Amino acid sequence: MSLLDNPGFRLLERSMDAAALRQKIIANNIANVDTPRFKRSEVRFEELLRRQSSNQKPLVGFRTDPRHFYIGGPADELPFPQVVSDEKSIMNNNLNNVDIDYEMAQMAANQLRYYVLVQEAGNEIRRMRTAIDGRR
Amino acid sequence: MKLTNGFDISATALTAQRLRMDIISSNIANAETTRGRLVDGHWVPYTRKMVVFEPKPTPSFNQLLRNNMRGTSGEGVKVARIIEDRSPFKQVYDPGHPDADENGYVLKPNVDILKEMVDMISATRSYEANVTALNATKGFITKALEIGK
Repeated sequence: MSLLDNPGFRLLERSMDAAALRQKIIANNIANVDTPRFKRSEVRFEELLRRQSSNQKPLVGFRTDPRHFYIGGPADELPFPQVVSDEKSIMNNNLNNVDIDYEMAQMAANQLRYYVLVQEAGNEIRRMRTAIDGRR
Repeated sequence: MKLTNGFDISATALTAQRLRMDIISSNIANAETTRGRLVDGHWVPYTRKMVVFEPKPTPSFNQLLRNNMRGTSGEGVKVARIIEDRSPFKQVYDPGHPDADENGYVLKPNVDILKEMVDMISATRSYEANVTALNATKGFITKALEIGK
């Protein structure tokens, strides 16, 4: 058994991955704010996560052997962050659709979210350390 | 994931905006330059220059595959070309000028100072936005180093 391989910690990891990816995507959008015909991208993760956690799994394979594949089980539990590009909207004359104010706001929000996740991961580790230390 | 990838993206934009700023400076500095180039023994005034930005993609097969599998970002922006403004030169009546033609007209560069100033503000603001993005990325990495402390 590994210490930090619980679903909660894996969720934190995946969310941090998503936030880091989102930071890169936003940095790229901001970098291309003056590029003609550039279309902005964004990261979808929380929405996928919510959708996945809200509807129950219709079918979960019953495993009788540890070598069996998971069907609808833990292996594909968490969604991966997805990058989608917004091709439809037009913001400027040069067909670029980067709204710098929106991107800056998203970046600030994303940064806070990341900080929260980091803190939470730290708490998880600290709890584990308390358990390891025991009654010393 | 490479740790400093977000830096690279913002850095490309800083480079590009700085080059844009250099070009604007060159345009403003040469706003009155009548001897930009010698063509067939005649002086042609300085021609206004502009930068062309384009996204910096690496559309290799691997990249596209990874885009679809995990989602990756672009690689920032680059200056594809520096092009010359094809709009006509300004004609100014100044018979005493050494580069005046036989009718007393001098061709002046097609640089519009107002346009350059507006462009300069735009470049400055974009530069600042990218510095902010860079600092945010730095905050991410600094914070990530605190995990488990």
